[in-house]
Amino acid sequence: MRSAIQVCELKKSYGSHVVLKGLDFQVEPGEIFALLGVNGAGKTTAFECIEGLRTYDSGMITVNGKMGIQLQSSSLPSHMKPMEAVKLFAKWNKAKIDDVMIENLGIKEMEKKQYIQLSTGQKRRLHLALALVGNPDIIFLDEPTAGVDVEGRLSLHEQIRKLQSKGKTIVLASHDMAEVETLCDRIAILNGGKIAFCGTVSELTEKVGKKYRIHIKTQQGTNTFETDNIEDALLSLLGELKHRGIGVLDIKVDKGTLEQHFIEMARREGS
Amino acid sequence: MSGFLYGAALQWKLDIRSKSLLVTCYIVPLIFFLLMGGIFTSVMPKMRDTLIQSMIVMSVSMGAFIGLPPSLMETYGSDVKKVYKANGVPLYLGLVTMFFSTFVHLMITCIIILLFAPVLFEAILPIHLPRFFLALAIYIVVSLSIGSILGLIVKNQAKLTMIAQLVFLPSILLSGIMFPADLLPNFLEMSGRIFPAFWGYRLMLNNGFRFENLWYFIAAFCVAVITCGMLISHTKDM
Repeated sequence: MRSAIQVCELKKSYGSHVVLKGLDFQVEPGEIFALLGVNGAGKTTAFECIEGLRTYDSGMITVNGKMGIQLQSSSLPSHMKPMEAVKLFAKWNKAKIDDVMIENLGIKEMEKKQYIQLSTGQKRRLHLALALVGNPDIIFLDEPTAGVDVEGRLSLHEQIRKLQSKGKTIVLASHDMAEVETLCDRIAILNGGKIAFCGTVSELTEKVGKKYRIHIKTQQGTNTFETDNIEDALLSLLGELKHRGIGVLDIKVDKGTLEQHFIEMARREGS
Repeated sequence: MSGFLYGAALQWKLDIRSKSLLVTCYIVPLIFFLLMGGIFTSVMPKMRDTLIQSMIVMSVSMGAFIGLPPSLMETYGSDVKKVYKANGVPLYLGLVTMFFSTFVHLMITCIIILLFAPVLFEAILPIHLPRFFLALAIYIVVSLSIGSILGLIVKNQAKLTMIAQLVFLPSILLSGIMFPADLLPNFLEMSGRIFPAFWGYRLMLNNGFRFENLWYFIAAFCVAVITCGMLISHTKDM
């Protein structure tokens, strides 16, 4: 099966500042893929090169399918109304407006407002609708829920999952690790202009090495321990506490959040 | 084509909503027309012969140099231009729709002046109306193409306001619409010839539609189209 997107040795500089030093990754059809990185890592530059919005110095980008691009929240004329934008995009893409999609994203309820009067969440929803107008196969979402409240975020996540269930490929850039962890099948971490990691969240956990985190609350306070061997660690920890006569009030085991792994990965790459 | 027509019609509505074009294409020129039309014709009754042409030069200069450039800057100086690329639409389409829309706004204002000047101030209508409208259309197109250069080249609102005034004010003061250009010192009279207002005023006068008043527009339009093309192709490589 052909990849939806294939990026090979992508390089891009702004003057003497090298932003992308040879990116290599691929996105498979029907998956939700996230590009992660700290501010200035080059996520938006990489996105814009793939989307065709920006030229690049060298490398190869192959996109197999029609693209829909969710633009940032400053990319429509201030006085345009949401449905006017939808109609304009539909005309440009020679597409019919999908009334169900418009309804689901709540575009009709903001119909009378001008773009400048929309809230951040409404702008994000509108830009998602505009990205979907042409019925694309691959959808690019740059920070899709930045500045959106919890309710709006959940609603957007639901829309993104619905799109995946329809067979769409979704590529997103995000700072929100919880969002990425919840939504994405695979991630790529961009660090220092290169892909530091590409794979699933559990593969990242494996790579980082800290498999388990034990949070233990006793009469003396709360402590967190990291370990690769959960059985041995728990037995030894509980044995030690019992031996010292310290009562355990609560105990939780997790595998660490994506955010923690991301920080660990960035720390390792930096050192 | 339907995308272009919808875009142009939408742009026309956005111009009205944005207020800035509403002010520069309609409100200020028409207030100027009402005030100065009365003053000019009462102080100098002979101004009735050229009142329509004078007021139109003022209106077109204001719309083209102060009205159009900020709209272009909002698109080409910001992320709005990405909308075109993201939809596979040529980047110049924004310029074309804004140009077309402002052309229609200015033509409407000029028609209002043409209709009301004889009624309000006993102004004399041009003898040959089709030729007058052709001259007017040429003048608007060339003024807008020069305004387009301003909107594409300047990326800062404060600078744009200043530069637009530096083009607008000499256009009005040195074109001969406020007082005869031959009363000006030679240097200023020659400087006035740089701006389309000087030539537009003459082209629209009766018997003014001659090559000696037309060559400037051909040259200025060619230079403006090439410059705008270069500026847009530079914008493409973001």
